[in-house]
Amino acid sequence: MAELIWLVPLLPLLGVVINTLLGLNDLRLSRANAHHDHGHDHGHGHGDAHHGHGDNPTAKRSGLIASVMVGLGFVLTVATLIELLGMPAKTTLGENNRWFDVTYWNWMAFGDLEVPFGFLIDQLSVTMMLLVTGVGTLIHLYAVGYMSHDERPTRFFVYLNLFIVAMLMLVMGNNFVMLFLGWEGVGLCSFLLIGFWFEQRDPPWASVKAFVTNRVGDFGLLMAMFAIWTLARKPDGTFLHSLVFREVLEQGTVFSLQQYSTFFMGTQYTAAGAIAFMLLLGVTGKSAQIPLFVWLPDAMAGPTPVSALIHAATMVTAGVYLMIRTHPIFELSPSVQSTVTFIGVATALIAASIALGQYDIKKVLAFSTVSQLGFMVAAVGMGAYVAAMFHLLTHGIFKALLFLGSGSVIHGFGNEQDMRKMGGLRKKMPATFWTYIVGTMGLIGFPLVSGFWSKDEIIGHAFDHDHRTVGMLLVVGAVLTSFYMGRQISMVFFGEQRDQHIHAHESSRWMTAPLIALAGLTLASGVINLPGEDFHFLTTWLEPIVEEEAAKFHLNIAAIVTILGLASFAAGFYLYNWAAKHKRIKPNQRDLLHHWGGDFYAILEEKWGFDALYNAVLVKPYKALASFFGKFFDVKIIDGIVNGTAELVGLSGRGLRTFQSGYVRSYALMFVIGVVIVLGFFALR
Amino acid sequence: MISTNAYVLLSAILFTIGVVGVLVRRNVIVMFMSVELMLNSANLALIAFSRARAESDGQIITFFVIAVAAAEVAVGLALLVSIFRAKKTTNVDDVNTLKG
Repeated sequence: MAELIWLVPLLPLLGVVINTLLGLNDLRLSRANAHHDHGHDHGHGHGDAHHGHGDNPTAKRSGLIASVMVGLGFVLTVATLIELLGMPAKTTLGENNRWFDVTYWNWMAFGDLEVPFGFLIDQLSVTMMLLVTGVGTLIHLYAVGYMSHDERPTRFFVYLNLFIVAMLMLVMGNNFVMLFLGWEGVGLCSFLLIGFWFEQRDPPWASVKAFVTNRVGDFGLLMAMFAIWTLARKPDGTFLHSLVFREVLEQGTVFSLQQYSTFFMGTQYTAAGAIAFMLLLGVTGKSAQIPLFVWLPDAMAGPTPVSALIHAATMVTAGVYLMIRTHPIFELSPSVQSTVTFIGVATALIAASIALGQYDIKKVLAFSTVSQLGFMVAAVGMGAYVAAMFHLLTHGIFKALLFLGSGSVIHGFGNEQDMRKMGGLRKKMPATFWTYIVGTMGLIGFPLVSGFWSKDEIIGHAFDHDHRTVGMLLVVGAVLTSFYMGRQISMVFFGEQRDQHIHAHESSRWMTAPLIALAGLTLASGVINLPGEDFHFLTTWLEPIVEEEAAKFHLNIAAIVTILGLASFAAGFYLYNWAAKHKRIKPNQRDLLHHWGGDFYAILEEKWGFDALYNAVLVKPYKALASFFGKFFDVKIIDGIVNGTAELVGLSGRGLRTFQSGYVRSYALMFVIGVVIVLGFFALR
Repeated sequence: MISTNAYVLLSAILFTIGVVGVLVRRNVIVMFMSVELMLNSANLALIAFSRARAESDGQIITFFVIAVAAAEVAVGLALLVSIFRAKKTTNVDDVNTLKG
């Protein structure tokens, strides 16, 4: 399969090309029709983007093309996985045999800079590829149903396929520049997809916010790349001048990054630490960690399949992938590792607490994603790479399921996202309800469901490796997670429907089938890393890359976390059931917790004021600066110089005009005066 | 033999008369005549110098000046006739349409 691996990203790219051409053809035809009969086309083109009337026939066509392309990529990835499994595991300890690194051509070459275009296929990238193409295929199929009423489904599937291409570039690339290509590619595609419904009010702003916030993080990644390029040395002392993973992450080379250091305020900082820190900045952008997480919840303005793809299974996992890929650099700098853990834990807690105060069904999930990413980042910071990867995979599956489930609710509930208007939907949408329950079980770590194993592995690792505080805080995060999920399940699916004007209905097979498939995966995916001697598949599989021992299972910790979680879920569930029964939940009314929590709850509703803080600290001064340059500097100084020059020329022109009287004799006089002056000059010299 | 100074003095007087003529008269034809006077005063000076230096350069240049002056008069008179046809006047102060 090694010879065909290039097909995996190429197939979705082909989907992009085919759908673009088909879309252009449709456009040509519709224009030709519009020419033939005026007025007929008037009904279309208006109306709300995603609830126009009737099915759009192009949705099925372009959606199927796109899905098949990604699906074929998944098949190829599975074949590659089988081939890698067939290779001998390892010859000696710490040596990895299951990989191949194919370079297709030299991508860039100027002077010292040489960047190959090639793929590194090893345990880590294949695992990521499985998630991206596997969950991606299901999300594509779901989108066929979800976008069936949309005006421009072809464009949507073009973007969606392009997104998969970029994500595959990111995980498959064998060097930092390829990774950066994909890194920027997913940023671009998220911009296109979040702002897909550009005629509405919020999506364009949300897409800009996502894009700009991510640029801040990208700056960190770029600086890290430059630093590696200039500083890394080979073991023999010569400069490496390479960004290929296998060369940079070679043990001797990575150590060379520690030779450069500087003392600042009494502490020694090494280049490795600086690079790790800059990589971390990139991670906080892409994986929506504090302080750059603010873009992700707003990004929910995009179509729901996008939320599932970007915000669960692919883009936001890029940061975690990057850290696991470059973990040798992080390991050289314990202080940065602690920072990573701290950021992860803080994000997990703060995002989980914010989720308590959200009324929008998707925003609850968005903050939940931020929070779960915090778990993964914290795990990476503690060195629990396998646990992080395990949670990344299971979370990718069950969070995709939850997002798609919420999309099904939104789709079947008249595009309403406010949970205060919902209620009692379990009867109207049984398939959505049951799959949603399974997804929730995954997320809150219901015993034996995937999230149970992966989350407990992270928490267990924390207690095992002397990160007691981290472990406790993560348990608090897990408890909060259970509470808001109980709240959500109760508000959406139980009690009576509060807004009776909306006719709720179950979604089409296109949407429920992927939900059921994902639900099955959610129930089953825990097996990939069950504790116990013979079961640690993921640990054994990734061991040559991260060199980590298998995590131990702690029955007491798991039991405590599970009991606390289930109790918290029940508390949330019954509290809001009670509230619904006593008609305490009304649209546009504040949450129950506000009654008891008061101002503290108001802070949660306002997302701890992060947006307000950034507004005050960054956006406002930036706008002030822009308006200074725009209204004062540009108008007064730049325009002043330009207009002043013109004014001067005009003025001198007006002055000289008086000499041009048209009287020949006055010209002659000037001539004579000129001659006298010139002659006088020569005579008197 | 009359001294070169006298010729140059005469030439200067003639030239000044020509300049003043161009500056003070309004009739184009008279202005033309004044220009001719200036040209001829220059010719006179050239010939005087030529004689003083016993070289023929000045005389040759004089012929050029006469030729150019003849051409100038031909062009100038043609212009003058056109202007007169258009404006019915030979007064230069009435012909000031090129005013800025």
